[in-house]
Amino acid sequence: MNYYEHTYITAPELNNQELETIKNKINEILKKNESKIVREEDWGVRTLAYQIKKSSKGKYNNIYIQGTNKVIKEIENFERYEEKVLKFLSIKIKKIPEENSELIKTT
Amino acid sequence: MMKRKKDKKKFSKNNSNSLFNKSNQRQSKSCPLSGKNAPEINYKNLKLLKKYVSDTAKILPSRITNVSLGKQRKLSLEIKKARVLALMPYVGE
Repeated sequence: MNYYEHTYITAPELNNQELETIKNKINEILKKNESKIVREEDWGVRTLAYQIKKSSKGKYNNIYIQGTNKVIKEIENFERYEEKVLKFLSIKIKKIPEENSELIKTT
Repeated sequence: MMKRKKDKKKFSKNNSNSLFNKSNQRQSKSCPLSGKNAPEINYKNLKLLKKYVSDTAKILPSRITNVSLGKQRKLSLEIKKARVLALMPYVGE
């Protein structure tokens, strides 16, 4: 089992329902491969440094996953063909940090 | 002949004082990212990363910023991660 950090950017004009369908699908893939989300962070809507798929803003979602490399492959495969997901990045990490990052949404 | 040699020596000494002392002072600066209280290099720490990028969003060379070799390698990796997620630009204005 490895630890992974996965962030994905969705289109900013999505409503809650559409967001939840994406989240549910990711959860399904995780359950299938016996892995789980350890931590979650919501970075809110930020302005992008450059335009992606013709939108200049994006909603950032950050999750920490405990699982195998198969899960990451499947999640990335799903996000690649999902139009509402603008971009994603997954990184293998050794430890899961306990403190919140500086990018977290402050309201 | 003897006179000439003496003149040459004098010249070289003066030269070293004016030109080469500067470079010695620059070398004595230590790396700002290593040591006990150094900040952690991470692609989420945007405030830190923006210090090491030029106005046109290029990564600054370590000969200017005095970052050590190992830390410079890590810095450039983290900046590239931030670029993928559109947290930092590839090209500046």
